[in-house]
Amino acid sequence: MREEAWYKMLIISCAIHVFAIAAFSIPFKKSSKRLDVLSSYSVNLVGQLGGGTGAAGAEQAPKSVPEKPAPAAPARVKKTAPIKKPAKEEVSLSKKKVPVREKTTKEELSRLEERIRDMKKKADYLDVSKTKTAGAGGQGGTGAGAPGLPFGSEGGGRPLDPATQKYILDIWDKVKSAWGVPGMTYKKDLETIVIIRIRKDGRIVDINVEKRSGNRIYDESILRVLRAVDPLPPIPPSLNMDSIELGFRFLPGDLS
Amino acid sequence: MGLSSLNAYSGGLFSLIYSAGPVAKAVMLILLIFSITSWAIMFVKLRQYGRTEREGERFFHAAREADSFKKLITIYRESPDNSFYRLILACYKEITKRQKENNPEIKPETVPIIENAMKITISEESTRLERRLSFLATTANASPFIGLFGTVWGIMDSFREIGVRGTTSLAVVAPGISEALIATAMGLAAAIPAVLAYNYFSGRLKRIISRMENASLYLVNLIGK
Repeated sequence: MREEAWYKMLIISCAIHVFAIAAFSIPFKKSSKRLDVLSSYSVNLVGQLGGGTGAAGAEQAPKSVPEKPAPAAPARVKKTAPIKKPAKEEVSLSKKKVPVREKTTKEELSRLEERIRDMKKKADYLDVSKTKTAGAGGQGGTGAGAPGLPFGSEGGGRPLDPATQKYILDIWDKVKSAWGVPGMTYKKDLETIVIIRIRKDGRIVDINVEKRSGNRIYDESILRVLRAVDPLPPIPPSLNMDSIELGFRFLPGDLS
Repeated sequence: MGLSSLNAYSGGLFSLIYSAGPVAKAVMLILLIFSITSWAIMFVKLRQYGRTEREGERFFHAAREADSFKKLITIYRESPDNSFYRLILACYKEITKRQKENNPEIKPETVPIIENAMKITISEESTRLERRLSFLATTANASPFIGLFGTVWGIMDSFREIGVRGTTSLAVVAPGISEALIATAMGLAAAIPAVLAYNYFSGRLKRIISRMENASLYLVNLIGK
């Protein structure tokens, strides 16, 4: 066999492999979207206000969290519905969307304002996230066994109601204040994401390390802290939740 | 943002490969090289065998038309370089060598010598056609094991990580195993076409060689005419 033909075939073969890998990458991406829907949506804590949330498909979200009661259901931006004018973009205040839609223009205006506030918060959050920590909380105890993406920022903002926010912040403060490894200084680029599930009475039922920093001592210190703070404040009855899933991002800057 | 780290498990094949460990990456690189080479061999062989088979058809057609060896030679004078051409060439060279020493007539005792010359040519041609085919067999046999090695290594790694993390939830274990299994999948993806191609081409090679043997017998008959 002549060598030139051999090289030509080798190049053709390479091209086929590149195409095959590219082709296999596309369907994978599509199926991963379904995974996002399954996972419980979460809330960002930065800036004291719920920012970007992973409302991956607002329609599916309530299905995965069937027991989520009305008071805990925060306003949700309906993303899936085709919206013609941006001004009409609706933010439903509760699960019962239809009656809310029929309200007067005044309420629509207030909803719009709320939406603008959400977007501002999000911008605020984006600024802060570079330097500050983020504890993100996702709610929805069921979650189909899968841990929620801790920082689902699919775009649609879903602000938490103040009671939940306050509760999450309380927990974060408690964890943060208890956390600290004396005599240890860490590189700035360490980052650990932990998802915990808290039962109604405040007990941590599940600790899930979503992302490890790579530094074992650092990670262990976080796990130790979470075990130490174990009976966390119980979930306020006003939230009416059986369990809550919270994601925390630990950065060395938070060390007390 | 935290998402960047999580995308590893949902970004597709490429990111799955990207997020794999160094051993798995090395394994997958080896498998990729194996796969690319074996596919290149397949294309080369497909062309080579196709051409040789076409030449065989042409030879038998020409041999049927020609009633003497000399006529066949004139048909094949401008023929491109191929296995059947080389067979005739070997035969022709042997005949001309004998003819110089003696008279133009071909003696019966020279026929075995011509036959041997053609046998040598057939054997050389079959070696040439077989070249690189063994790589397909190697890929077919070795790449599942190479892939399995990557998987075993990956699972070892992920189990060690379970120990470090202290959690055994499926969510912790699954990504590591999924990453590890990619190596086996790639090994199989490299091996399956190689197995099929090897069997196909070895069958085809057998047919080509038997055709060449027939052609050599045909030539011997033709010489006598």
